[in-house]
Formats: sequence, C-alpha cells, structure tokens
Amino acid sequence: MSRVGVALAISVALAGARGLRAQSARDLVAQGVHAYRALEYDAAAAWLRRSLADDAAGTLSTVERAQALSYLAATELFRGQRDSATLAFREIVLLDPRYRPDELIFPPQVTNLFQEVRRTTKAVAVAVRPVTELRVRSERFSARLLTSSLADVTVTLAREDGTPIRELYSGPVADSLIVTWDGLTAAGTPAEDGRYVLRVAPRAGAGTDGLRARQVALDIRQQPPDTLLWPPPLTTPPLLPERTPAAPALRPLAVGLVAAAAVVALPSVVASGRNTTAARFGVGAAVGVSGLVGFFARRPGRPLEANVRANAPQREAWNRRFDAVKAENAIRRSIVRLVIRAGPQTVAEGGAP
Amino acid sequence: MRAVVLTAALVLAASLAAGAQERPTFTFHGAGAVVWVRSDTAGGAVRLRGPALAGEGRVGLHGVTLGVGFLEGRLRPVGAATPRDLIEGRVLIAARPLPWLEMSAGPVVRAYVTTAATERWVFWQARARVDAPIVTTTLTSYLELWRALSSQVNQATPVGRVQGGEAGVLYRPPRGSVWMRLGYRVDDAALGAGGETLEAISLAVGVGRP
Repeated sequence: MSRVGVALAISVALAGARGLRAQSARDLVAQGVHAYRALEYDAAAAWLRRSLADDAAGTLSTVERAQALSYLAATELFRGQRDSATLAFREIVLLDPRYRPDELIFPPQVTNLFQEVRRTTKAVAVAVRPVTELRVRSERFSARLLTSSLADVTVTLAREDGTPIRELYSGPVADSLIVTWDGLTAAGTPAEDGRYVLRVAPRAGAGTDGLRARQVALDIRQQPPDTLLWPPPLTTPPLLPERTPAAPALRPLAVGLVAAAAVVALPSVVASGRNTTAARFGVGAAVGVSGLVGFFARRPGRPLEANVRANAPQREAWNRRFDAVKAENAIRRSIVRLVIRAGPQTVAEGGAP
Repeated sequence: MRAVVLTAALVLAASLAAGAQERPTFTFHGAGAVVWVRSDTAGGAVRLRGPALAGEGRVGLHGVTLGVGFLEGRLRPVGAATPRDLIEGRVLIAARPLPWLEMSAGPVVRAYVTTAATERWVFWQARARVDAPIVTTTLTSYLELWRALSSQVNQATPVGRVQGGEAGVLYRPPRGSVWMRLGYRVDDAALGAGGETLEAISLAVGVGRP
C-alpha cells in the first residue's frame, strides 16, 4: 500500500474513532437521561458519569455537557448525594456562567440548589467573535464578559509573554458586560503584529472569592493600508520636449562643417590644377564657426521655454493629482486596520482555581 | 546657343513647377570684395589683387526671379604688370524648383580694362545653388556651381571650359529683412595651354529675400 493510502486509511480511522466516541458519549447521555426519567437514579448516575468521563476529548458541546451535568446533579440530589450534586452544579457554573437548568424539566428543589451553588460560585466567561476587523481609533473590538454572580474583575490586554499592553476595564460585573478596545496600546499607538491574550482576572485587592481568571488568545495583525497608486509620470508625448535633444544640435554642426569643407575644396572642384590663394580658408573657417554657433545655439539640454510654458498646465494638473493622492494616502496610512483572530477561552495560568 | 535655349527652357519649367507667387518680391544687396586674378599664359603668370564693389537686384514674380548684377574693382599687380580695372555685369533668370535649390541662367559680361586694351569675356552661365540651413532660417550655408554654356573672349587664344562656384554663409537676423553674406567665389577659364582664375571674398549686405 502506498504512503498516501496508509495516510488516508489512518485519517479515516481517526475520524471514525472520533465520530464513534462522540456518538458514544451522546448515547451514554441519552441512556442516562432515559434512566433518570425512569427514576433509575443509580443507573442514570453511572451512565452520565461514564458519558462525562468518555468525553475527555471534548466531543460534547458546552450545552450538551451542561445538560449532562444538570441531569447528573439532579440524579445525585435524588440519590441523597447533595455534595456530589453541588459539585456537578459548580462545574456547570464554571463551564458556562450563563447556563440555567430548564425549570420545566427539573423540579424546584433541583433548580434552587443550582441557584444556591451559582450564587456561591464565582465564575466568569469571555465571549469574542472569532475574527474581528477594525480601524484603529474609529472602530472597536468587543468582548462580552459573563459572570455567574457579581464579580470584581480587571480586563487586561497583554502580550503572550505577559507584558501588559493596556487595561481595558476594572470594576464590577453583575451579570454581563461588553468591554471594547480601540486597537491602541496604553502609549496610544496601534498594537503591533503579534500574539496577545485578553485576560479577565479578579481585581487586585478585591479578593478572588473563588473566581478563576480566564483568557482568550488573540492573534493581531496589522493590515497594510490600501493606498492609491501614484499618477503615471508625465512623458513626452503628450508633453512637448522641454529641453533640446542631441540630434538637432548635431545637424547644424554637420552642415556647417560640410559647408566649410565645400568652401575649402571649391577650387579643387572648379579650378583644378590652378594655383589659388589661401583666402578661402578664412571663409571656410567662418562657415565652420557658423556650424559651431548652430551647435551651441541648439546644444542638447538647453531649456525650451516655449514648450515649458505650453506644458505648464499639464504639469500643474499632474502636481495637483499627485498632491491629492499623497494627501489621501497619508490619511489612509494614518488609519491602521487590525485583524484580530481569537482563540479558545482558557483558564489563565496562575488564575485562582 | 542651343544649350542656352535648353537651359532657359529648364529654368522656365522649374519656375512653373515651383508654382505662382502672389506678389512680386524685391531683393537688393551691395557687397565689398577682395579679388584675386591669376592669368597663366605662355608668357608667364600674372597676378593681380584689389578691392571691388558689387551689387545685385532681383525681382521675383510668379515663381520666376529676374536679376541684374554688377562688379567693379581696381586690380593692382602683385609683381611687374599693368593694373587693370575689372568690370562685370550679369543678367539672370532664376527659379526654385525646390525650397533648397535655385537654378538660374543668364549672360555674363566681364572686362579687364587697361590703358592699352580691354579683354572682354561674354559667356552664358547655367547655375545651380543649394541652400542648407544651419540654424533654421537665421544662419544658412550655400554652395553654388556654374558652368558656361557658351563663351567668347576677344583673344586669339582658344577658350576651353569656363566654370566656377561660390560657397559661404548667410546670416539673417530673426527680425527685419536685412541680411549679410560672407562668400568665397572662384571662376576658372581654360585658355589654350593656360588659364585665368578669379577668386573673390565678398561681404554682402542685402534687403529682401536673399
């Protein structure tokens, strides 16, 4: 079997095992619920504990797990195991502070115990959107804090290594609170690329009161600004040439030199064999100098004022476009965009149990 | 004479090809020149030199230019010889088949006058002149060649070919109609075993289209 085949087989086997385990945990919960409804509390407790134990991989959703714990707590309560019921309810509160057992399913003695446990168990949860894109300063990243009961917390944004970046909130949270962040550090600069944590911890000096600190890993990336392209440079054409090119300067020089040569050679052409004077050399020199004058009059790189004036409106228009793009890009560069990807919520290291 | 008629016909054809002009144009110029004449005969070489004044007027109409010119100078011998007066007159008819090419033809009469005798030349010339601008129309070089289609001289010595040429530079200021021209001219005539060569450097000042 090829390597690809082996890898495929292993993948299918792993996916199948995971599916079977999830199915198994859910089946166990279903059997536990069925036993609970049949008042077979011992069996129900066994099925439910086994389902929760088998769900170490976390295949059950938070709601499914909370439901299983609710049935387990009720079962233990009816079995006379109040401490076990309390522990199960406490685990629900820590799992999801907002969860409430259904009062249509569970009798008041169960829900009352839950409320009692909830009041005495301090828990906080942080909910953030998986991906948030924001413009620094003008838009905000938000995190929702959920508490089981009144808690005094501090919400801090810190680097992954624990270096604090900015404290976002410090104070009481009665039930829920939305904490926002504008993307700036405490120094007022946009957060740089990197891995951060949004940490919710008991406020210093307020006593942890059993509250476990929570954190959410954040991967923050600055998005490069979408700047405008510079206007294409002006070229000739459509611009008229503003400086004399080399070719027109060489032409008068060539004409002058040829004409000078013609003057000097004229006796050889029309009076061949005669003794002529050297007077022609003076005229030939004058004609050659004329060619040099023509060359320097049209020397390369000499400004052509008329063309410069004719091009001025186009240059001014181009400069205006350039300045406009420059100003717009400066604005766009000043607006930093952040892409914030949130990881799962975890218990913060060093947090209270 | 046949050649003269043929040249005149060519000039007229060229003028018709050049097209008609609306109004007549006038050109005059006066020139100062230094002339050198060298005659090589069986008796030896005679060299003369002296200043000369020249002038020419032209009128152009319907693409054809009619011109009259003269030259007069006092030539002094470089060695032992008799001084001569140089007098030259010419009539021409010209046309420009191309903007840079002028063709002309006409008779020329030249006389070397001494106290004892006058050497008189009469010949019909066909001329072609090329203008090559150096700086647009401001500074222009030119080259003109001519050849005698027929020639006569009141000498016993038979006349051979007679030809010549002129080259130089013309300056026309950007504004105004006055222009200046510096030129070198050489005419050569074969006379028996010898010859006669005339050279001149001229500085002309003119008005109108040169």
